Order: sequence, then C-alpha cells, then structure tokens
Amino acid sequence: MKPIKILHMYADMLDLYGDSGNMEILQYRCKMRGIPCEIEHYSRTSEVPDFSSYDLIYLGGGADLEQQILSADLPRCSEGLKKAYADGVFFLMICGGYQLMGKYYRDADGNELPGVGLFDYHTIAPNSRRKRCIGNIVVQTEITGEPLDIIGFENHGGQTSGVTSPFGKVRCGNGNCFQSDTEGYCGKNVIATYLHGPLLAKNPKLSDYILTYCLSRREDAPEQLAPLDDTLENECRAVMLERLLKK
Amino acid sequence: MKRFFILLGKLLVKGLQLLGKNAGNLPGCILWTLTRHKCVSLFQVDCPIIAVTGTNGKTSVTSYVAKLFSGEGVKLITNSAGNNLDTGICSLLLQHCDWKGRVNADYLILETDESHVPVVYSQLKLETLVVLNFFRDQLDRNGEVETLILKINEFCKTFEGNLILNGDDPNTARLGRANPNNKNVKYFHAEPYAHATTQLFEAGEGRFCPFCGSALEYAYYQYSHIGKFACPECGYGTHTPYVTTTDIDLDKPSFRIGENTYTPALNSIYHVYNMTAVTAVAKLYDIDNRILTDAIANYTVKNGRMESFTLGENPAVLNLAKNPVGANMTLRVMNEMSGEKELLFVLNDNIADGLDVSWIWDINFSVFERVTRVVTSGTRAHDIAVRIKCAGYDPSKIVVRPKLDDAVEELNTTAGKKFVIANYTAVQPTRAALKRYIEKHGGAANEAN
Repeated sequence: MKPIKILHMYADMLDLYGDSGNMEILQYRCKMRGIPCEIEHYSRTSEVPDFSSYDLIYLGGGADLEQQILSADLPRCSEGLKKAYADGVFFLMICGGYQLMGKYYRDADGNELPGVGLFDYHTIAPNSRRKRCIGNIVVQTEITGEPLDIIGFENHGGQTSGVTSPFGKVRCGNGNCFQSDTEGYCGKNVIATYLHGPLLAKNPKLSDYILTYCLSRREDAPEQLAPLDDTLENECRAVMLERLLKK
Repeated sequence: MKRFFILLGKLLVKGLQLLGKNAGNLPGCILWTLTRHKCVSLFQVDCPIIAVTGTNGKTSVTSYVAKLFSGEGVKLITNSAGNNLDTGICSLLLQHCDWKGRVNADYLILETDESHVPVVYSQLKLETLVVLNFFRDQLDRNGEVETLILKINEFCKTFEGNLILNGDDPNTARLGRANPNNKNVKYFHAEPYAHATTQLFEAGEGRFCPFCGSALEYAYYQYSHIGKFACPECGYGTHTPYVTTTDIDLDKPSFRIGENTYTPALNSIYHVYNMTAVTAVAKLYDIDNRILTDAIANYTVKNGRMESFTLGENPAVLNLAKNPVGANMTLRVMNEMSGEKELLFVLNDNIADGLDVSWIWDINFSVFERVTRVVTSGTRAHDIAVRIKCAGYDPSKIVVRPKLDDAVEELNTTAGKKFVIANYTAVQPTRAALKRYIEKHGGAANEAN
C-alpha cells in the first residue's frame, strides 16, 4: 500500500504546547491499521519541496519571535502551497500556523507580518500581551457530517476575523476572538484551529476523518477505516465533557 | 503606616499559627493588597540576599546553598517550604523582623519564582542572583518562555550584583549581556557526560540565537537544549566559564571541578548541573571545600525529589516532574534503574500546575525500558493514559485510577520496584497517599534529613 505522506512544516520552530503530538497520533492510528505513514519535514534551510506531492500539510503553533523569523521564509513557499491546496492536499494548521495562512498577523507591538494569503481571514493581537484567550475549550463541528464535540485548550492573544466558514460553534471557551460564537476555519480539505491539547489527543474521530480524506484521493481507497479500540480516549472525553459543559 | 502593616502582618501570622493553619502565604497576600502590591518594601534587610531562580531545580539548589551557609551562630532565613512569590517571601520575613520591619539575619537565601524576580528585587537589594535554566513550563500561567526571559532581562539591565548563570543554556546565558557595565557576571558550565548527544533529543526552547536569530550550533547536548552552544553568525556563546564540571561519571556517581572530586547523592546530569551552580556560589563566597564536599555527598532534599519509600515490601521512588524537561529527565533515571518496574504517573491540572496538559505530549515516552505496567491518577489521569498509549505502550497494561489512594493500592497489587512521577500540585498529595499506604500495609518512608 502506498504510504500516507505528511509534510510537517517548521517542526523546529512551531512546536509549542505539544502540537507535534498530532503527528504522533496520526502515525499511531495508521500503524495500528497497517497503513504506512511517512512524515517529512520542511524548515528554513530546506529546499522548497513539491507541496502537491503530499497528502497532508501540517503546521503547529509557535511563539511570536519564531513566527516573525519564519514569516520571512513563507513567500518562497506561497505559490506551491496555493497550488497544493487547489490540488486537494489536506491542510491542518494549529494556532500560529492557522494565523500565518491568512492575509496577515499584526502582533502586540503593531508589526504586521504578511501571511501566505491562502485564506481571507486576518489576525490582530491586542496591544497588551496580558490579554489572551486561555482555557479549556469545546467546539462543536459538523465537518464529519454529524455534530461532533472537539475538546482542546486555547492559548492565543491574536483575534482572528474575516472567517467565512468556521471550524465549529463554541460550546465553552472563547474561539476566534474573546467570547466569540465560532472557532477556527474549515473547508473540504482544510482545518485551521486554535486548539492545542494537542488537537487530536481527545478527538479520535477527527483524526480518522482526516485520514479517511487522505485515503479517499487515491484509486485503491478503502471503503472505511478499520475500527480501533478508543476506550481510553472515550473515557477521557466523557470526563472532560462532563466537567466543562455541566456549568 | 508601615509599622501598622508590620504589626497587622505579625498578628495575622500569630493568629494563623494559633489556629494551626499555614501562615506561608495569606498574611503576605493581605499586605500585598494593602500596600498596593509593594508588600516586600515594608522590610529593611541589611544582610546579603542570595536568590535562586529558573524553571527547574530552584528548590534543590536553594536548600543546598542554605546548607553551605548554615552553621553554629549563623542566622539564616530561607523559604524551604517553597513559598517563592512576593507574597510568600513577605509572609516569611514577617516572622523574622522587628516592629520596624528590620530583618535580623546574616543571610537571606531565597528561592524566587521566575516571574517574581523583578517584583521582589526592585524592593529588596539583591547581592547575588543564580539563574539555573529556562524551559517551557506552565505556558498558560507564565506565557511564552520568551516573555518571561524578557522580564528578567529587563531587571538585569540595571542589576550590578553577582549574576551566576548557566552558561550552557542559551536562554539563561543571554542575561549576561543585559548590563554591559556589570562586571560580576559568572557562568557555570559542564563538559559532556557519557549520554550527551550531538542531536537534540527532547523538546527544547533555545534553538535560535536571541541576538541575531540564526540557528544555534551545538558541540553537544546534555539534555533538552542544555549543552555547549554557539552562534555561527554573531559569536554568542563564547563566554568563559567561572566554574567547569568535568569527568562526570553517573555510574559512581562522581564529577570533578578543578582539583576536587565530588560524589553527589543523586545520579542524574540534571543534578550535576544543580551541584555545579551550588559550587559556583561556594566559590564566590569562599566556602570551605570540605563543607561543599560534604553537602554534595550527604545532603538530600526530601520533598518528593527522588524520595525513597518502601510500600509494604516494594521499593519505590517518588519524583516531581512539572514540565517536559523534568519529566524526560525523570524517565531517563527510571530507565537507568535496573530490572523491571511499574510506573505510577499522577497528573493534575490545578491553577498552580497550569490548566493546560498539552505539555505531556512533549514527554518522550517511547523510551520506556522494562516498564511492565502503568497506573495513572490525578485530575487528568485519563489524559496521561492516552498519551502513554499513543507512544506505543500496550493499552492493556495501563490502569486508570483517578483517586490517589486507589492508585497506590492498585500499584501495589503486584510485587516489585515502583517508580512514581507526580506533577506540581500532585506531589504533596501523592506523598501523603504513599504514607497512608505505609501506615496501613507497612513499609517505610525516608523521613530522615
């Protein structure tokens, strides 16, 4: 079987809050099903790859300083990323990665970092670094075709607006802006979100949705993924949903 | 007004003590509000103050430094209970000052929370600041590591006292450049030990030069991003060490500094760095080498830091791990332990822990060696179970017991060695649960110190 090919961009810089755990989880869920999965890395010193040759492109979250450093590197990738998106490659982006794929990010000091411009939203950080959306968060998404509660942790200063199709409705927490109704951005082949935790840790159905999409682009696509024993994950979800939603 | 606040504070301390309550923080919190956040400025301190800060190792290094200075006729004040914020330090000083706020002591040796260094020492004159390291820790409470470093850097810009810095941590050593006029900056350093690597092994923070943004180059990594680094572009990292540890042998364990050989009580590289920092303080204050040698060889901090217990017949070790670097170090120590063992991991998400448990995904669990079963506990018992499972550990060998007493009972349903890891707010409840188990089923807690 042909492996699922993942490109993990700037793993050396966008790796705050355990976001690389998402890669470990996807790899784990592939391995348990005997699906080969290869993860390659791209960083500032790499040659620009053929982004369209991957099934999934992943960016995690990072600190302001690191975001500044790599926004200088993004222009050389921008055409390739846009083409890959149009070709149907799946994009998964967390926090800083989410912000950088938009039009621009204005940091707390007022510096404007241009984004890749793949999507129309933009992000503005409040002048005070103390003002941040921090806490456990539950978002209800319908991306899988039925309502699904996604549990994670948000920690961002940036306020994102201009989102045309959010990832989900906020059931508990802040979302794209302080006290907003919606969180993240999504489309047929993109999920962009502020959720750490990491995102996929307590949301195995979301992991499988992404893997199913990646496999669906090939001729020998399986009907559906083999089920896995998610007892621990489901118990963990039940405990957290009970705690966060009962208020 | 000042005398009134001191009087009030002292009455609060006495009152709480009479009620049998802990007076470690509350009096300071009340004075903090009344003085508009300047509670430490109430005190007049004429003796030298030595402060220890950094992400990991503060409590240990502070108590070793206190050990160096302790002796007959020496009045030493130290926050051994770990109240390391301005309010905790205020509460401590209330117990040792006169009615005018004058603190009567020969030395103040204070563990100080990283984010509180500028607050406390803008109000009290600091003689020596020891900075151990900066790692990612409680990101939701402290913010990004960078923000925290910038705060301390701002303080160091006008600080002219002794600044003892970990020269092998790019996040820490950079503070040495904050005040070019400070002639009292001293770096400590360690030569590579047997398990040093040429590649980064665990999540690290200091990958880029803080001065020019280039990727730092490492001759070796000791653990996380601690190691011999240098910036290929601007030359950051070429400082001359004040103290250098060589010939580190963790099997004995022993290490050398200059002419002297030391035999530490614990055998981790992490502990060797702590002892190197302690040695730098000893050198600065001309402490007799016999006192230093004895402290390193015989003194240990019994507070959930590599603390030994016997649970029924089973030998157990408890260690605090409140962030990925601490946890990775602890796993290394556990792996190096011979024979099979079972692990109990207690994970809480109280405010002091940081509400965000994402950090457990930065722990490298794939390195488990001879771990035959895992029990998880704490308010986030399920999260740590999922984490360990996704690292490839057989889920049928993972048992989730959120209640601590249940977890300790479960851990001891089989005979053999036990290793217990607990995060910040979990450590003391875990110690208590281990002791309850011992009361019920026999065994021993190592109380002596």
